[in-house]
Amino acid sequence: MSHQLIIKGSLRRARFTLDLDLDVDLSRPLGILGATGAGKTTLLRVIAGLERDFSGRVEFCGEVWHDGDHFDRVPTHQRGLGVVFQDGRLLPGRTVESNLAFARQRARKVNAAVSYEALTEALDLNHLLSEPAEVLSGGERQRAALARALLARPRLLLLDEPLAANDADHRQQLIRHLAEWLSAEGIPLVYVSHAAHELAQLTRQLIVLERGSVTAQGETHVLLEAQSEAIDSVARPVAAVVMSTDVEHSTATLQLDDDAAGAVLPGERVLLQRELTENSGLGAALQPQSDENEG
Amino acid sequence: MSGDLQAVGLTALLAATTTLLLVPLASPLAWWLARSTSPSRSVIEAVVAMPLVLPPTVLGFYLLIMLNPESVVGSLWIELTGDSLTFSFSGLVIASIIYSLPFMVQPLQAAFRAVPDSVLEAAATLGASPRDRWLNVVLPMAKRGYLTGCVLTFAHTVGEFGVVLMMGGNIPGETRVLSIAIYEHVETLNYDAAHMLALGLLGFSFLSLWLVYRYAGHRFEVVRG
Repeated sequence: MSHQLIIKGSLRRARFTLDLDLDVDLSRPLGILGATGAGKTTLLRVIAGLERDFSGRVEFCGEVWHDGDHFDRVPTHQRGLGVVFQDGRLLPGRTVESNLAFARQRARKVNAAVSYEALTEALDLNHLLSEPAEVLSGGERQRAALARALLARPRLLLLDEPLAANDADHRQQLIRHLAEWLSAEGIPLVYVSHAAHELAQLTRQLIVLERGSVTAQGETHVLLEAQSEAIDSVARPVAAVVMSTDVEHSTATLQLDDDAAGAVLPGERVLLQRELTENSGLGAALQPQSDENEG
Repeated sequence: MSGDLQAVGLTALLAATTTLLLVPLASPLAWWLARSTSPSRSVIEAVVAMPLVLPPTVLGFYLLIMLNPESVVGSLWIELTGDSLTFSFSGLVIASIIYSLPFMVQPLQAAFRAVPDSVLEAAATLGASPRDRWLNVVLPMAKRGYLTGCVLTFAHTVGEFGVVLMMGGNIPGETRVLSIAIYEHVETLNYDAAHMLALGLLGFSFLSLWLVYRYAGHRFEVVRG
């Protein structure tokens, strides 16, 4: 079944003008890559119907969601979305369980391949169900928001850096689960991330945004190979380098300048980028965590 | 004594009626004031807040002019109900609603303003319609605002004097509320009776404010399940 997403139009923002002419089939998961301020989140908000000022057309599966200045031809709540925002956006004053219940009570009536129990277990939420949203860490909030979005049984999943606040171990697990669920449920995905390895594992096609415009569109693995060049051309000077571990059973520590920036899992590809000032550069190295491993 | 009890009953009825009517009347107004970016917002805000600074007798005077049987509103009311708005319980309720409007609107406005757009957006993406978002996201988050608004409106109405005297006079069982009864006791040098009622009001006022600070002061209350 085709999941055609068409977005044509523009939206003026202080730092950029989002100018889109996209026609993609979301039968294959779509990734969106771009530097901070490139318009990735705004693009997701346009799809979700949260940008009133977008002037243009948004269509999904042949259904016109946004036409001209009528941003709510199909209002957000009728679009059948599952959205994870960067900050999780759990409903305050409610427990995690109550947040999940909010989604379940309004979920589309479809047969779901992944159960509530499987989701909460895999997302490591069972011990947090009775906790108020306010006391969760950033990573926990994101995992709860991801569960909530999936429990809405969406016909389109929009994820905006949904794993960024989780540690490397959780991230890797979550990517694996997410890939399994998306395949089992057949949910079209639009995935925004800075992390090349996440995009590589979860998406098959990619668009690169720069200052609101699409500068590249194609196969994820092809574009990621060329990502350093793509990122080099953003407005502010940025240094970027892709690093990966080739060994199969080792974990390396990423050294960014003088700081350890986190663990890199076997086979994982990491995109480093840093804004440059007059006298700075980007120095990075992978240090094996044990003697027999190589970075 | 029975006259005083009657005044207590009438005052409670007036305060309860005013509070109950102000909840649905003030909610949309407070919501609009909290979310609107219209240039006319500050004008409406100033109008709503007027009773806070206006001498009650001034407000009472204009209400008397607006609602007397010769006025458009007053004569229409008589046609519809057969009763006059001045020197009647119905007139007192209308006067109280206007006089206590800021005491309900302002706490609600503050509570609504504290509901972030981002939360409403998240609820919308989960399939919640505007009405659903209002009932299940905004209202639970604005609970403290409602509690504060209700308590302050009730207490403020109980303590009304100037507006009530101008609009309602002193008709036992109809418009003779507590503050009027105290005034009358003082006028007739019946200090014991005045003390009884005044002390009761003092205790009630303290209790109301304590209620607001005790229960509306919680940072958040968690909805479970």
